[in-house]
Amino acid sequence: MAFVLPQEPVLRLRQPLRKLLEGQENAMALYPTYPLHTERLTLRPFTRGDVDGVFAYRRLDEVARYLFDHPLSREECALAVQQRITQIGLAEVDDKIILAVELSETGALIGEVSLIWRSVEARQGEVGWIFDPGYQGKGFATEAANFMLDLAFGPGDMHRVSARCDVRNEASWRLMERLGMRREAHFREHAIFKSSWDEEYIYAILWQEWRRLRHPQEEIS
Amino acid sequence: MSSLSLPIETDRLVLRTFERSDIDDLCAYHMLPTMQRYVFSRTRDEAEVACALAIMRNHVSLQRPGDTLTLAMVRKGDKILIGHVSLNWSDATAGQGEVRFCINPSYSGQGFAKEALGALLDLAFDHFRIHRIFARCDGRSHHSIKLMQQMGMRLEAHYREHALFQGEWDEELHFAILDREWQRSAKVKELPLRHRVA
Ligand SMILES: CC(C)(COP(=O)(O)OP(=O)(O)OC[C@H]1O[C@@H](n2cnc3c(N)ncnc32)[C@H](O)[C@@H]1OP(=O)(O)O)[C@@H](O)C(=O)NCCC(=O)NCCS
Repeated sequence: MAFVLPQEPVLRLRQPLRKLLEGQENAMALYPTYPLHTERLTLRPFTRGDVDGVFAYRRLDEVARYLFDHPLSREECALAVQQRITQIGLAEVDDKIILAVELSETGALIGEVSLIWRSVEARQGEVGWIFDPGYQGKGFATEAANFMLDLAFGPGDMHRVSARCDVRNEASWRLMERLGMRREAHFREHAIFKSSWDEEYIYAILWQEWRRLRHPQEEIS
Repeated sequence: MSSLSLPIETDRLVLRTFERSDIDDLCAYHMLPTMQRYVFSRTRDEAEVACALAIMRNHVSLQRPGDTLTLAMVRKGDKILIGHVSLNWSDATAGQGEVRFCINPSYSGQGFAKEALGALLDLAFDHFRIHRIFARCDGRSHHSIKLMQQMGMRLEAHYREHALFQGEWDEELHFAILDREWQRSAKVKELPLRHRVA
């Protein structure tokens, strides 16, 4: 799989991001100051008012197809939102940051992006995304996900960030390639997914690869 | 599952469960730093090898997911223990298993590991009805990579710097084979060492 350079301009952090609990051995916590802004988007914690916005896309078959969840009911969305409200920082392994993605211009909720801390010692993270089909195909997921990579490799001090998806989820792995991630794994029939054999890709990007994408001129040893 | 009949004989080997008296032969290879990767417990001295041996002596069958079967590779003529292979039943619903192997470097390069692993894959697919077998190895372990390719296993994953091992960034490969892909007399496939995933 070719190493793909993203076509979009380099994203810069507009907002200074704060690192709390700095100086602790090994353990580095990440608590960004919200909201965060990209060119066209606002990334912020979920709030109770987001239930309908989330339900609008999480109820759809096409959105749930390659997610572990089935299409969600409104009650299930309320529960999902409830969980996400506090998923805004990384303090220990398996913690998640899951952010609501808003179109800055209109304030519409268009999806979510996530960053999970997979290993503290080896500084590993995992990113994920779910977007409303009404807002797909415009590069919003790429823009938000690129920002999550900046968060992970910048203030998060991570060394490697991975992402996984069903092999048939072309929109998702093409997004991974736009982000400059490399395909590291192609598992066949290694698990059961929704009553049939699962086939999965894992993509990843290393800190030094991310650096080279953001600063193409500099030589990094 | 029907009862397992052990030991298993291959052309040049007897594969049997471990015995208390295997300690010396096991010490001859189990303490080597290169062996410490996918072992059941770390072994730096004889006492730790004895612990590892105690664990492996309990690996006598696969009754439930999580169980491991570990078989000592004993050379037919001189009865020397030259290595071991093991099969872990990692997942019941999806029929998954993992194989591991260790061989005393003094006996490597003679096809013993291939012989033992072949018998273990037969056992996994024919007796235990496992659907997919995978194996992990260090990205620098060219012997293991070649062996898995010879078994007809596909490279499914090539992780880079995904973990720390002994204080350094690790590189790990996963190989796998499905029941329908496994051929008893797997033809030796000479694939380039680092071909791309997928
Ligand atoms: C995976 C998912 C987030 C991808 O969304 P997406 O809209 O395809 O991704 P982007 O927002 O990056 O848009 C990229 C598309 O917009 C186009 N585009 C338009 N303007 C763009 C811009 N400024 N920047 C980048 N791409 C742009 C791209 O060309 C691309 O279209 P193409 O695929 O036809 O080439 C989305 O399909 C989804 O939410 N799926 C359901 C949930 C799911 O499966 N999640 C992942 C589980 S692993």
